[in-house]
Amino acid sequence: MTDIAAQLKGVCFQYANGDGGALSGLDMDIMKGECLLLCGSSGCGKTTVTRLLNGLIPHFFEGELKGDVTVFGKTIKDTPIEDLAGVVGSVFQNPRSQFFCVDTTSEIAFGCENLGLPADEIRKRISSAADEMNITKLLGRSIFNLSGGEKQKIACAGVAAMLPQLIVLDEPTSNLDLDSIEELKKILLGWKAQGKTIVIAEHRLGWLDGVCDRVIFMKQGTVSAEYSVKEFFSLSTPKLNEKGLRAFRTETNYLGYPTGIYPVKEHRKSETITLENFTYSYGKQDAIDIEKLDIPKGSVTAVVGHNGAGKSTFIKCLCGLQKKFRGSAVIGGQRYKSKQLLGLSYMVMQDVNHQLFADTVLDEVLLSAGDDDKQKAIQLLEKLNIAQYAKRHPMSLSGGQKQRTAIASALLAGKKLLVFDEPTSGLDFASMECTAQLLDSIGNDVTVLIVTHDMELIERCCTHILHIENGRI
Amino acid sequence: MKGMFSTDIENRGLVLDPRTKLTVVIALVVFSLGGAGSGFYCVRAAVIALCLLPIVLLFTARRYKKALLLAALFVLVKSAEIWLVPQFTGAALSISSIVCMFIVRLMPSLVMGSYMLSTTTVSEFTAAMQRMHIPQNITIPLSVMFRFFPTVTEEFSSINAAMKMRDIRIGGKGAGKLIEYRLVPLMVCSVNIGSELSAAALTRGLGTKTKRTNICKIGFRLQDLTVLLLVLSVFVLWVLGMAGVIK
Repeated sequence: MTDIAAQLKGVCFQYANGDGGALSGLDMDIMKGECLLLCGSSGCGKTTVTRLLNGLIPHFFEGELKGDVTVFGKTIKDTPIEDLAGVVGSVFQNPRSQFFCVDTTSEIAFGCENLGLPADEIRKRISSAADEMNITKLLGRSIFNLSGGEKQKIACAGVAAMLPQLIVLDEPTSNLDLDSIEELKKILLGWKAQGKTIVIAEHRLGWLDGVCDRVIFMKQGTVSAEYSVKEFFSLSTPKLNEKGLRAFRTETNYLGYPTGIYPVKEHRKSETITLENFTYSYGKQDAIDIEKLDIPKGSVTAVVGHNGAGKSTFIKCLCGLQKKFRGSAVIGGQRYKSKQLLGLSYMVMQDVNHQLFADTVLDEVLLSAGDDDKQKAIQLLEKLNIAQYAKRHPMSLSGGQKQRTAIASALLAGKKLLVFDEPTSGLDFASMECTAQLLDSIGNDVTVLIVTHDMELIERCCTHILHIENGRI
Repeated sequence: MKGMFSTDIENRGLVLDPRTKLTVVIALVVFSLGGAGSGFYCVRAAVIALCLLPIVLLFTARRYKKALLLAALFVLVKSAEIWLVPQFTGAALSISSIVCMFIVRLMPSLVMGSYMLSTTTVSEFTAAMQRMHIPQNITIPLSVMFRFFPTVTEEFSSINAAMKMRDIRIGGKGAGKLIEYRLVPLMVCSVNIGSELSAAALTRGLGTKTKRTNICKIGFRLQDLTVLLLVLSVFVLWVLGMAGVIK
């Protein structure tokens, strides 16, 4: 028994608010010092398992819990969540909502301060955690000025400083680029070397080859299969997709290609949208500097590049959201400048909740169109497969359906350029496939740009790649 | 990304103890906004110095443009109040004195308040509260609020961007519902972030019964003493005025 770090026995759990991810009779042993990967499609319950281990269930998320969960001999049900804080550390998906302080040093200190450790001891722990993770230069910085990858490293350091025996990570790479994932991998390997137990729930799997020791595939709230690392990482892509899992790694790493725009699939139309004078700077530093760029009309172009390469600035400029931006887009002989770009293009944001305003899906779509377009709107909803939700409140829909609603509203408003900001981050195979089909169904009249790190999505549906580095092509 | 409430710790100039800043805010509310002791000439003069203090602080935080603009505005309106307004009669007098009062009295407190929020980190704030022996049940919700402002302003700017792209604006479509259209997504996003934030904080031991420690070194330094001396002198002048020692 002493080798077991955590044990789940006959666990059933149902969220009180009816969220997906219920568990039905789950048995799982987690050994001391092992790195366990939990995988499965969305709603299979892997996040629920991480929440049971860190005590958020039943102490924060309400619901009906049956069965026993013990972590290092403590029964989770009877242990207040604050007593688990020094034992189980958690890293979450979204960097923007797991920070409590506004500067990096106090953020790393935060957990230790809560444990009531003496200030000198905390300072020692901060510097050793920073040393181990190679983030000494990030100390004393403002959280708001860090990239997603840097934020995730600070989150890891904050957890490590509390010296937990078990660390659970819930989709930690959803917002990271390939380089940042490599860095996270190093951190995990460091923890393994220290003998910590690690449980990680993930959609992106490839980077964990060489990190995890055992893989559990979950389905509908139970363990469906267990694999050794060797077995699991020799599964073929179709096999993985069949299970609803993402491929390990698609063959081409587009970041290795030179900058510029080039076709990856056949594309018949020869017309282009010409972007001119796309330069923008924050203060003295140039964020983007692109003199001229031709984007084929009707193409689906993936915008790739490292974190901080200027992709977000580029799409903000393109959508007319960047004040003082002086560049223009020429399409079919017509020139769109500064504010006119707002009428040309539309961005589907990463958090689509920001852009749904009306009471029903139909009203939402009609909001930026004339009322006499109702017939057209209904046709469009049918085309995008959301006609049955026309009378529902947009906020009551699932993420994918919200995305479709936002797209329908943009198409009806006559936007010629659709820009997607990371549409598939944190999605399983089935949802990614849905998004890809959606992109297919948008049609040739509209040009699509997708900012993404998702190689599988690029292979599946992009006709062109636009690679930006340091704001240039 | 930098909203009004997000603390820019890399660039905040003169570091004052949070308690000093709080004292200045209170003093400004009492003397500038509340107009205490405005019957005495000395107090009036000292309060002008007090009102310029937040502008000086902004200047040290390298917000030169804002500081200069506010300074010019304050000096202009204050001189107008002293020399120009008394010349007016009737409606012009009441309107101009109301405008002047609004700017001269309210502005310094607002500037100081926003300076305090934008230069104090959450940990400094909690450390200061702890030193003042304020119980954790009050400190923790307040510090959560502190952390929440920048996030909400960030969300708000995303929503505004989305509305621009949809051409929802004053004079455009849906103008009558501009507020509702902003609030619904803002509330949905805030609730999501709020609950994720609380979950993350709980897993890191916020709310344990053990007494919380703090690595943040706060304390009164020379700059704090100078500022506090200024505040104190206003109080002393006021008391002296009340006692009839000065006029």
